[in-house]
Amino acid sequence: MDYFEPKSVAEALSLLARYGARAKVIAGGTDVMVDIKYKDEPECLINIKRIGGLRYIEEGNGGLRIGPLVTIRELETNRLVRERLPALWESCRQFASLQIRNTATLGGNICRASPSGETLAPLLVLEAKVKLAFAEGEKVEPIESLFLGPGKTSLGFNGLLTEIDVPYPERASRSAYLKHAVRGPMDIAMVGVAVLVTPDANRSAANDVRIGLGAVAPTPVRARAAEALLRGKPLTAAAVQQAARAAASESAPISDQRSSAEYRSWIVEVLTRRGLERTWREATGKEMSG
Amino acid sequence: MSITVSFSVNGKRHTASFEPAASLLEVLRDRLGYKGPKLCCNTGECGACTILLDDKPVNSCVVLGADAAGAAVTTVEGLANGGELHPIQQAFIDAAAVQCGYCTPGYIISVKALLDRTKTPTPAEIEEAVSGNICRCTGYTKILDAIRLAAERMQQGS
Repeated sequence: MDYFEPKSVAEALSLLARYGARAKVIAGGTDVMVDIKYKDEPECLINIKRIGGLRYIEEGNGGLRIGPLVTIRELETNRLVRERLPALWESCRQFASLQIRNTATLGGNICRASPSGETLAPLLVLEAKVKLAFAEGEKVEPIESLFLGPGKTSLGFNGLLTEIDVPYPERASRSAYLKHAVRGPMDIAMVGVAVLVTPDANRSAANDVRIGLGAVAPTPVRARAAEALLRGKPLTAAAVQQAARAAASESAPISDQRSSAEYRSWIVEVLTRRGLERTWREATGKEMSG
Repeated sequence: MSITVSFSVNGKRHTASFEPAASLLEVLRDRLGYKGPKLCCNTGECGACTILLDDKPVNSCVVLGADAAGAAVTTVEGLANGGELHPIQQAFIDAAAVQCGYCTPGYIISVKALLDRTKTPTPAEIEEAVSGNICRCTGYTKILDAIRLAAERMQQGS
């Protein structure tokens, strides 16, 4: 196996150009190390941890600019993430063990493109943008378009994620991440649901509602039909129940050793409802009316 | 191909050569002879291989050995002061928190990291700190007793 520790993004890109699909990029390593041991050892391992300037959490562009080498623990212990991006913060709190959170990186969680990747549904509802570097130049795109399938991203074999921009939601909005798993954070999510609710000035209707679903489709997805049912309307118990059902029917879960597809659909409905109830209460100070 | 990396373990400087895909756990155990961190699940789930990498607890089985370059590693071997056990180690013995012992070095390192972060951990903080460490003898109650005992003794001692 060939091994490189590029010192710059340009150097990493030229290695990717040279090795293409035969190369594997490694950052924290919590997933890649397991693959190396139990699946195939790549012909070439490109360790990007020594590239300078990819590990920062800074305010900018109306939100937080996050370097891809920032660890999950660094996000979890960051005051701005906690206060301004609660859905992302809650997903970091429910992300495996402290040992893993100290090692795993945000960029790794994104590029791994696992449908159940803990931070992905939150980043979808927060409408994060990702900066992608290619030999031909840089591209900024909504994170949603990055995910093509399980383990597949629009980076292909020759791109590198260089920044995650997470805009701050309006001050009045609230967001949350709800995870269903048997053994809490240590377990891979059977279902993860991120929600964001922005009430209007009177706190009587929702100006904006966003719902992101994890582990119930080939990629993390937005439940746009469910969102549309609620946007501009008061969040009543009946409306929320209807939207939660819509979210469940927008999901396309599989059956595996963790749970059946049918069970996952039920859980999408339950977590969507709970998430909307909670964020509505937090955003308006009011319980949901019948 | 092999790479050569220098780092310190329990304050002692080492230089080791190994395959670039080797985990830090393999380097510690097989190249440098530190058998405290244990090989168990080898997938980052059980915590038996927990060490401190620059004061942060990590699963050394899923960290590249190469990533230790220039870092300070602490294993359970580095806790005792000569013949005198570290208060956390003594508390595990006194609270009978050791059965087969295989998970113990990982637990002790996780607890060391916890008590370095806070001298007065809440029950929730204690549980969270060791939630990445699995004991299959199911001695959890006694392990939690040992952590509380260690925290008490270290507060009194300081």
